[in-house]
Amino acid sequence: MIGLELAVHAAIASVDDPEYPGVSIVDLGLLERLDVTDAGDVRVGLIPTFSGCPALAMIRDDVLEAVDAVDGVGEVEVEWLRSPVWTVDRIGPETRALIGREFTVAVRIGTGAPECPRCGAPTTEESMFGPSRCRSVNRCTACAETVEVMRS
Amino acid sequence: MTVDVTPAVREFLLAIADDKHLMGQQHAEWIGVTPFLEEDLAFCSIGQDELGHAALLYELLAGDDDAAIDSLAYDRGADDYRSCHLVELATDDWTVAFARHWLFDTADQHRWALVSQSTVSELQDVAARVEREERFHRLHADNMLDVLLADATARDRFVTAVAVLAPLTQGLFEPVAGEAEAVATGVAAGPLAAEWDAFVATIEARIGAVEWGSAPSQAQRTLRSDDWRPLMARMREVIDLDLSATW
Repeated sequence: MIGLELAVHAAIASVDDPEYPGVSIVDLGLLERLDVTDAGDVRVGLIPTFSGCPALAMIRDDVLEAVDAVDGVGEVEVEWLRSPVWTVDRIGPETRALIGREFTVAVRIGTGAPECPRCGAPTTEESMFGPSRCRSVNRCTACAETVEVMRS
Repeated sequence: MTVDVTPAVREFLLAIADDKHLMGQQHAEWIGVTPFLEEDLAFCSIGQDELGHAALLYELLAGDDDAAIDSLAYDRGADDYRSCHLVELATDDWTVAFARHWLFDTADQHRWALVSQSTVSELQDVAARVEREERFHRLHADNMLDVLLADATARDRFVTAVAVLAPLTQGLFEPVAGEAEAVATGVAAGPLAAEWDAFVATIEARIGAVEWGSAPSQAQRTLRSDDWRPLMARMREVIDLDLSATW
């Protein structure tokens, strides 16, 4: 069963966050639970970044489709869990670097000023709310780049 | 996942959900027309959060079936909604809309604190998620309030807006159908009315004494205000274009 579980995990990891094409939902920390039974039935538990996120249904459908396509898989169930609450700590360093490079999005870790993905200087907040539920808008104090900051 | 609660407790939870639902809609109607961009983004995001919180509660009551959740959210008769008149109020004055956001989210914090240790464990989960997002709402309101109160004209307008909303705000704290049973069974730690004094202290610490007036006649939230019907008509506008359509 380990083989099937790995294949299912890989299928889930192939799903990108619609906000970040090329960035896996697994790398963003959305996958919380994966159960694969001996019969090949799969239950996937995901946690949303923000509860009002309009992409939730789309992500669930994408995961359902990806897992369904794995050989040997039976019934598939994908659910959004109410707990735990997602935090930016669930995003690993490599993924932080990737979304900084590709999307000029910094991840707020701790209470310090988020760093500009372009030049590394501190950024200051321009607007607490931004283009999506999980991002505020900052500006770099050195290069003046507009930096979106992912927060939790 | 559906929670197994008594009909009375269900009414109590519907009051929270309906307030969130209508508040979310009211905020959403400001998209594109707020006085400046930051507020546009803020009302858009905050409104989405409120709708998301309402959806979490409707889901607890209606189960995972999307059609059942939609039906609970949009298809009840006027008497069966449990919204308070504060969130039903129509306004085209952004100062009033902003003041309502501040009053509502401050009051909402008290309400969620009451269910954060609920005997219904699913409510504890929802409360934790809601609070994580609500703190941004309060932070936003507080920051903007700092700016408004520092300017004499803005301060006057803001205080006047709060005075308009004060009686309706009392209505949010009035007992709702099912509340007594929710408290007796530990679903809520206490009645919302018990939080009133602490709420008033928070508000008046920022803007001074408020004339709260008398609460509207809501009959435990079974009565809708005049603004409810047109609001619901706007919310249902697309659904009503073709009732037989599948979504």
